[in-house]
Amino acid sequence: MIVAWREPMSYRITETCNGCGACTKLCPVEAIFGEKKGLHVIDKALCIECGACGRVCPVEAVRDPFGIPCAMVKKSAWEKPRFDTKTCMSCRICIDACPVGCLGLSAPAGPDDPHGYPFMEHEKACIGCGFCARECPVEAVTMNASPAGHGGG
Amino acid sequence: MKLGYMGKILVVDLSTREIGEEIIPDDVYEHYLSGMGLAAYILYSRIPPGADPLGPDNILGFVSGLLTGTGSLFSGRWMVTGKSPLTGGWGDANCGGSFSPAIKRCGYDGIFFRGISDRPVYLYVKNGRAELRDASHLWGKDTVEAEEILMRESGGRARAAVIGPAGEKLSLISGISNDRGRLAARSGLGAVMGSKKIKAVVLDGRKRIAVHNLEGIKQLSRMCNRWVQFQPPFLSGPLAAYVGTIMRILPTQMAQDGLLYKILLKKWGTGSMNQMSVEMGDSPIKNWKGSSADWGIEKSLSVNPDAIRQTEKVKYHCYSCPLGCGGICTTKGVYKETHKPEYESVLALGGLCMNRDPDSIFYLNELLNRAGMDTISAGGTAAFAIECYEAGILTKEDTGGIELTWGNTPAIVSLIEKMIRREGIGDILADGSKAAAKRIGKDAGRFAMHAGGQELPMHDGRNDPGFNLHYSVEATPGRHTMGAQLYYEMFQLWKKVSGLPRAELLYFKDRKYEADEKKAVKAAACSKFMNVVNGAGVCLFGTFLGAKRIPVFDWLNAATGWNKTPDEYMEIGGRIQSLKQLFNIKHGIDPKSVKLSDRVLGRPPQKEGANRDRTADVEKTMVGYWSQFGWNQETGKPDPECLKSNGL
Repeated sequence: MIVAWREPMSYRITETCNGCGACTKLCPVEAIFGEKKGLHVIDKALCIECGACGRVCPVEAVRDPFGIPCAMVKKSAWEKPRFDTKTCMSCRICIDACPVGCLGLSAPAGPDDPHGYPFMEHEKACIGCGFCARECPVEAVTMNASPAGHGGG
Repeated sequence: MKLGYMGKILVVDLSTREIGEEIIPDDVYEHYLSGMGLAAYILYSRIPPGADPLGPDNILGFVSGLLTGTGSLFSGRWMVTGKSPLTGGWGDANCGGSFSPAIKRCGYDGIFFRGISDRPVYLYVKNGRAELRDASHLWGKDTVEAEEILMRESGGRARAAVIGPAGEKLSLISGISNDRGRLAARSGLGAVMGSKKIKAVVLDGRKRIAVHNLEGIKQLSRMCNRWVQFQPPFLSGPLAAYVGTIMRILPTQMAQDGLLYKILLKKWGTGSMNQMSVEMGDSPIKNWKGSSADWGIEKSLSVNPDAIRQTEKVKYHCYSCPLGCGGICTTKGVYKETHKPEYESVLALGGLCMNRDPDSIFYLNELLNRAGMDTISAGGTAAFAIECYEAGILTKEDTGGIELTWGNTPAIVSLIEKMIRREGIGDILADGSKAAAKRIGKDAGRFAMHAGGQELPMHDGRNDPGFNLHYSVEATPGRHTMGAQLYYEMFQLWKKVSGLPRAELLYFKDRKYEADEKKAVKAAACSKFMNVVNGAGVCLFGTFLGAKRIPVFDWLNAATGWNKTPDEYMEIGGRIQSLKQLFNIKHGIDPKSVKLSDRVLGRPPQKEGANRDRTADVEKTMVGYWSQFGWNQETGKPDPECLKSNGL
């Protein structure tokens, strides 16, 4: 029954790591392990390639799956999703795709529109991974550096 | 490379409390897809013959679909599978909501339980860890309460499938719930979960689902979505009812394009059929002995789709569904809200029992969802009990003082409450009408409208004989979700699959009752296609759009990187059907033994209503259907040669 199982793609931490633990706190899948001030490691089997560790690392010790070093980005400059409720199908794919659960479904839009739409419910939790935009089949979600909200609709 | 599917299952042994991952070879997916096909592959070889469905040898499998989470639409269906305690054979139940992607986001295509726990537990999976946790504080709680507690305990991001008190009390008509009362209701698999003492499966995964061609999938999804969003503005509830009346009066029928049904579903949900179906003869009334003559437009008016829509607060979409046939409705009484009652529930708790009170239907809908009991079987069993009472087989003494007459709303409500609590007469009825008839004796079986032990759904085979055929020939008998003559018209498979006959545009209704070879070909095509659909985790209602508008085959190729033709996928569907048939034979079910009651077949025919003078026998078409899969025409069993050519 058992056959060879391919290792998934993963982010990787290099020896520049100063063990500050910022990435461990942020990682949505608890994939990063390490002692305070020691070298941290990412569990390849758990990593979902959201890139949050790379954006938060102050010494730029994280490499993406292609081996490219990740640049630190100020949290206020992280991209946030915007939702176009005119294109949106209310299908909840984006809400399910979000690894931190920061998206919610709104109350019905109005008497003529009984559908709820996705919105940024916990903005502080958003790690700017863009999975919501990537998984939306109808391109109703766009990633934008300006504050999140109901754009376009 | 695992594309589209995760390539692994989780196997939990409740007796030893061992939990392990198993890697599934790629060629299993190529042969059986994921979802129901994968489950059939696992369960066929691992459940020993003669296994007690409520014993440790039965395996309960929760499976997602191959297309779930890939960017395709309508692909949020999960299935629960096992040996059914209700029918004794292959059991499956299908449900939407948000649980299907949760299975894959934990890294699995399916989660399988064997053994029996000595105390109530729930499975919790998060970030590569899986553990059995104590569930004694949840035992006895209804499905909504239990889900709320589990969400609080797991931080709110998780998804849960839970059983209610009906499953705990091993009611053979109990199901499994997710998203606050959406039930995988049929086959009695809630009882299997209850017998294993698993209260819930709680999943909090965040894994990515890799696909071969994401942009290609999205392009197909956008094309499909354009068809879904097309919606004319001029529809009204009464109009829908009168369309049904016209369909009844005309001697001819037109091939139906599912796009029309999609329009109704998008506006009202399945409740769009509440009156139309009665009018055209699709709804069984008064335990299948009545007709539209007993249940005219004025009697069904209280459940007109417009009336139900007025209670709807917000539309409810399952995961990845652009249509949103569901809704959350406000309700009077104990419960403040409920999932919009489906057509099946409205008719089973309404017309089938001659119950005209819509408030009671809303109440019972929520009550049964919370108890985790199937509304179709509960309504069917209540109607059976009423007819037994009418015939004097059950007395007021037996019912504990309930005056069990047709349309007596308080009596029906009280009876179903007793069934949930397994109290008095309710204890006898809680396992469905076949088991109850056996216990009651006195020839009560003639009033039990079931196929192989499962109560029949609210689609009358005397109106569409295709339903009667599928009720009898499927491995899970008594189901309306595998095929019908109407479904064949709506699937429009001839546009994609070679050698299938095009549906006739206009025909005399008499033609529906003629047993010819084409009917068998069409029915087999429905079953094969639905196995592909259930392997992909796609919604039946989505497939009503027609094979060109909902690109199931193309999505599958784009997700996996395979290059299979629709014909090849249909072959896979046939293989899954054969495997399920083998499962039943392994467990001692004779394919010829599933007999519908004479009343359901129209023997003798009804004297009034839409289906008067109609007899919808299945015997001739059944043999033709078997031969479409290469099964023995005498016995209905797959021959060794057929197995070989099927790669089984």
